[in-house]
Amino acid sequence: MKYLDLAMNAANSLGAEYADIRIQRTTDQRILMRNLSLKSADTQVVDGYGIRIFKDGAWGFAHNNVYSDEAVLATVKRAFDIAILSAKVNKDKKLCLAPERSYIATYRTPVKIDPFEVPLSEKVDLLMEVNRNMLAFDGIRQAMSYIIMHKDEKLFASTLGTRLDITYIYIDPIITATAVADGDSQSRTFDEGGRTVGWEWIQELNLADKAKQVAQESLIKVKADTLGAEQRRTLILDPNHLGLTMHESVGHPTELDRVLGWEADFAGVSFATPEKLKNFRYGSEIVNFVGDNTLSEGMATMGFDDDGVPGQKWYIIKDGILNEYGTTRDTAMEIGLNYSRGCNRATYYFDQPINRIPNLYLLPGTKPLSPAELIADTDEGVYIQGRGSFSIDQHRVNFQFGGDFFWEIKNGKLVRPLKKILYKSCNPEFWNSCDAICDERFWRPFGVVNCGKGQPSQTARMTHGSAPARFRNIRVGGSQ
Amino acid sequence: MNREFIEQYIRQHCSADDYTCTIDESDSHETRFAQNGITQHLAGPKVRIELSVSFGAKRGKSLINQDDEESLAKLIKAVEENAHLAPEDPEHVPSVGPAELPEVQNCSDATQALTPEQMVNIVQKSIDKAKAMDATVSGMCEKHYSTNYMFTKNGFTAVDNRTTFGHSMTLKKGEVETKVSYEAKDFAAFNLDDEFARLASQAEALAHQKPFDAQKIAVILRPPALNELMWYMNWMMNRRQSDEGLTPFTGMLDKKCFGENFSLYSTIMNPEILIPRFNMLGLPSKETSWVERGVLKNMPADRYWAQKVGCEAQFPFNMYIPGEDSSEEQMMKMVPRGLIINRFWYIRPVDMKRGELTGMTRDGVLFFENGIVKHAVNNLRFNEIPHEMTQRILALGTSQLSSAYAVVPPILVQDFNFVDKTSF
Repeated sequence: MKYLDLAMNAANSLGAEYADIRIQRTTDQRILMRNLSLKSADTQVVDGYGIRIFKDGAWGFAHNNVYSDEAVLATVKRAFDIAILSAKVNKDKKLCLAPERSYIATYRTPVKIDPFEVPLSEKVDLLMEVNRNMLAFDGIRQAMSYIIMHKDEKLFASTLGTRLDITYIYIDPIITATAVADGDSQSRTFDEGGRTVGWEWIQELNLADKAKQVAQESLIKVKADTLGAEQRRTLILDPNHLGLTMHESVGHPTELDRVLGWEADFAGVSFATPEKLKNFRYGSEIVNFVGDNTLSEGMATMGFDDDGVPGQKWYIIKDGILNEYGTTRDTAMEIGLNYSRGCNRATYYFDQPINRIPNLYLLPGTKPLSPAELIADTDEGVYIQGRGSFSIDQHRVNFQFGGDFFWEIKNGKLVRPLKKILYKSCNPEFWNSCDAICDERFWRPFGVVNCGKGQPSQTARMTHGSAPARFRNIRVGGSQ
Repeated sequence: MNREFIEQYIRQHCSADDYTCTIDESDSHETRFAQNGITQHLAGPKVRIELSVSFGAKRGKSLINQDDEESLAKLIKAVEENAHLAPEDPEHVPSVGPAELPEVQNCSDATQALTPEQMVNIVQKSIDKAKAMDATVSGMCEKHYSTNYMFTKNGFTAVDNRTTFGHSMTLKKGEVETKVSYEAKDFAAFNLDDEFARLASQAEALAHQKPFDAQKIAVILRPPALNELMWYMNWMMNRRQSDEGLTPFTGMLDKKCFGENFSLYSTIMNPEILIPRFNMLGLPSKETSWVERGVLKNMPADRYWAQKVGCEAQFPFNMYIPGEDSSEEQMMKMVPRGLIINRFWYIRPVDMKRGELTGMTRDGVLFFENGIVKHAVNNLRFNEIPHEMTQRILALGTSQLSSAYAVVPPILVQDFNFVDKTSF
């Protein structure tokens, strides 16, 4: 597209030390069914470009949705003027960009069936069947089903000479049944998170059958017992629960911008400060976390980040020790790294990219271990599936999590369903209490689609993953 | 963008039985600073054209941000096709008709006239003041101007213009972190010296911190803390969810389930606060009592549910909690000991049916005893049911602007339920 060269030439002429343009068209289709009422079948197309200029140790970013030579040139000038203003403030605190080479590349999310080519009526019929299946159970008061299909088409150019053409697609289906009985209401949700795949995944999932299971489990849950007073207990956590726990307690604390205090006013900072690198025991020796923006079907897998840095794979926690952060070109140099791990991502064209969590997952255990064997090896405890309430302090130390479905474990068996369970823990206690992780046969991904961060607020996507894992001596109990 | 052209085009070319179109334009300038330097700095316009149509009870909706003829033609085609493909919606309601809207003043000349250079100067002065204290400051200086326009086939036409200015600052000095945040429609009322003095005063009070265990204890919730808690409570007050048995407010309409000295309104009477003239459903903003002296008077409801159960459709468009005249000093003398909470953070529901929330304190907690502040304490986690908490309000201070959309007082509450503590 001619605007790429026009913008980069203009930025060079103005004297930019670095510049890039990201032309981005984002298409979303959201289908939401509540009971038998189609609440939304919206299509949203947001199209425009953002231009970043780096000058004298500071950024300027301007965006526009008007495609013309005049508008592009005016936007370059606006970004440049903003950078000059920023630089006046940064004269004693100049940012530096980690070195990077140029790339000319194309990336396409591999899909067999483009979800945007599937007729709307087929999608609506599917969700209608899903909700009917849930509402067929007595006691189900509310049936909700939701699918989002998302596509980013990006053209990226930088003054390094990089030219990228990226098409990124993901899908995220969610089903929730809410049961009301005995003065209580409880929901159960099918949610494996999002994946960068085509509609073929939805066909494989068999959501209509999942709906029946979700409805049955919500009816079990609403009549389940609570656990009573909080005490130290053993937890076994499923991958679709652990995804959010690791997101909050490992993913965010190891974003370098938080470590540097760049999110101090809003999203918070991190206890995992640079002097802890290579020596801080974050978890037990079996805890290994990998950042991996090359992960197949990963939500942060898109070839390159919005700095034009390619996807990479690296240890964030190795053998339980804090090893490295997720970094961007402008954060890496602040701790003396001369490379970025490619974690700079923006949501829409009008967003300035910021340091985001990569695909981040817990490596499976190296010895053969199934979930059944893990439960059989546990005298007493609680098994948690799915996401529930979650809250963590702004240093990413103290946290409290709920879940979606709970079983009490006694003498190596799941003995009764439970509800309203919360556990409280903190870093580094929690990950150091991990004493068993099932093997790679049981590793499952969980794609996060709505990671909120930044001012102005942005939502990013990334995939987590794990096999079921056991944590000892955690404070577990009922709510309040 | 030519709003008249878009409206004319859609009115001429949309063949649906009914339609609602909203056209939103905005322009923002946002300067984000951290640790005494600017880390992000962005500006630009945004456009949003959303069209909802229906054929009988079949509905479709699409949104674009391009306003040329070709894009508008595609928008109409896509949304009409979607509606034809959709099943009949048993909860369909027609678009709104002509309505009387409140006359409000949501725009400030001073905010509109604010230049990027002035905003950067505000940031520079904030940093200079922090440096003079041997501290660092992080925050955001932002200015927004927006126009929201809506028209429907049934005759509703309205426009709403708004400005907002915001400047937040988090100061870090040694182990002390604290924050102040200003957000209002009018930049003219902003005084950086006053804001920074408040920030420095908060930081000074927090200088000596001692460990403190979680417990039930009296708290003074300063306005930003109460504001945040109340928005989450509002979210659980939905009429339909309650009628369906999913919230603590099932069957509680016209009953006293809040404290006697607690009322909650959305208001068109307070000139300080932003008052949208209408909401995204086309409902005009009007004076609404949600809670009147402890009695649940109204619950937010959409047009379908309101029609079904015979109530008025409305949503909270701003928040006004009337205060009284107790000062913080007086409140501290009303209980033997307690905590002063600046803000909350990461509030999330724990139990929707009970209305229970969890969250952390942030940006400074002070311990007081015998009427005076003794020292700062570590941050704490709460699990609390806000509507029940209002039954334990002992005193209220003067209501004040807490954000552009909220005027709330500080309150003194007995037995606030802290359940855990953190290490800082």
